[in-house]
Amino acid sequence: MIKIENLSKVYSKEDNKVVALDNINLFIEQGSIFGIIGLSGAGKSSLIRCINRIEEPTTGNILISNVNVSNLSTKRLRNLRKNIGMIFQGFNLLSSKTVFDNIAFPLKLSKVPKTEISKRVNELLELVDLTDKANSYPSQLSGGQKQRVGIARALVSNPNVLLCDEATSALDPKTTKQILDLLKRINKTFGITIILITHEMDVVKEICTHVAILENGQILEAGNTIDVFSTPRQKATQDFVDQLRVLPTSLDKDRIFSLSFTHNSAGKPLISKIIREFEVDINILSGKIEWIQDKPIGKLIVQIKTDMSTLHLIQTFLKENNVKMEVLNYE
Amino acid sequence: MNDIIALIIPSAIETLYMVFISLAFTILLGLPLGITLVVTEKGHILPNRVINFILSYFINITRSLPFVILMVFIIPFTRFLVGTTIGTTAAIVPLVFAATPFFARIVESSINEVDWGVIEASIAMGASPLQIILKALIPEAMSSLVLGVTITIINILGYSAMAGVVGGGGLGDLAVRYGYHRFQTNLMLITVLILVILVQVIQSSGNKIAQAINKK
Repeated sequence: MIKIENLSKVYSKEDNKVVALDNINLFIEQGSIFGIIGLSGAGKSSLIRCINRIEEPTTGNILISNVNVSNLSTKRLRNLRKNIGMIFQGFNLLSSKTVFDNIAFPLKLSKVPKTEISKRVNELLELVDLTDKANSYPSQLSGGQKQRVGIARALVSNPNVLLCDEATSALDPKTTKQILDLLKRINKTFGITIILITHEMDVVKEICTHVAILENGQILEAGNTIDVFSTPRQKATQDFVDQLRVLPTSLDKDRIFSLSFTHNSAGKPLISKIIREFEVDINILSGKIEWIQDKPIGKLIVQIKTDMSTLHLIQTFLKENNVKMEVLNYE
Repeated sequence: MNDIIALIIPSAIETLYMVFISLAFTILLGLPLGITLVVTEKGHILPNRVINFILSYFINITRSLPFVILMVFIIPFTRFLVGTTIGTTAAIVPLVFAATPFFARIVESSINEVDWGVIEASIAMGASPLQIILKALIPEAMSSLVLGVTITIINILGYSAMAGVVGGGGLGDLAVRYGYHRFQTNLMLITVLILVILVQVIQSSGNKIAQAINKK
């Protein structure tokens, strides 16, 4: 369990002050995959680096399993870091060491006996499916393989938490999928809490159980991924999670609505029912079904040209069937 | 011909003695100095403005003195250290004095080439500053350091030619005394030839070793 309380980070250079993080509060449950998403410059990097204090928070507390990280001594901080794995966008492997020695690195720092190191590293090599590359150097590997070495290195000392700093941003979509599957498997098998920062919405949809949206150093919205995606509360979040809302300017923009179907309503023929029962025409402008952690969320952007009272009836009917209807445009 | 060989062999031995003993001390002193220069910088793993400032200025001052002047300038220091101010051993002191700051700057730039991400990853793994230096920075910079050592050897070899001023002997001194003052041009030529071959051998072996280490 990780608790972030009133965390702020201010960079000051001479008289110039830049607020990277502005009073962040987050609660991250043990065993969850927590995604922090935001555009570049939103403060994601600072936030994840404050968790293991690679960057010093300006104010605020970070509690990991009730240990306050913010005021640990240097020595205790180092020991704590050994229980927090971290992987990076640029992989950050040692180019002078083999795959085996890269994975063994954290154990060597802790002066673990050689035979034990060898046993543990081989286990990890198997986990990330790189046993045949044990004696290769990082320069001989592909991006995906490098990140798997990074993951193995991060896991070798059995951490409780894994921090992922844009871990898939340098990878192609197919490799990204493989890495995400691996992270998901690690989370399931070992119960490790994974905190990841990304600018890719697809990464969050694919694996995150929880999500926080970061903009200008502030959390706009946080919660269960499905809730945040299906019913975003803030306007900025809506724009962020739902690119469907951007409609071409040439379109007749009168009476346009967005309908969000969650998993228990996606199976019903609701649109045809509305057409029959309320005797209206529905023009479907765009739509898609998104899979968030293997659960469907349907999104439709429709135009319904009818009067106010009928629209209210339709809205009530949809609400009863767990569909959220929102007005996008009404002229 | 035998005379020439009889002159050259002891001189060559003196040169090698001066160069390699000086090199050993230069590495011993210059490596920690160069690393300290990097890690005490602002934002690095052991930031310390005072140490960084003092070291940097000390190095700049030592490097601004021409070797011949430095050699004479530090004579009292040489006497204090080795008990004499003339001879081959006495020449080693100014050689180390001149080569150490040079090597420290080379180490500084080699260590600075190491990707910051590697340092960040080491910190995240709970490595102490000393562990980062010994297990990450030095191994990662090794190939570049070997090239730096190569340049330093050649540099010391060049300086050692001036060691004659304090009676240090060596090939350079021989070339000046016999080749120049006594007009023995053939001896001068042979000495120059030996020096050229020596530099070639040092540089190409340095390159080969550096290449073998480099896994980038």
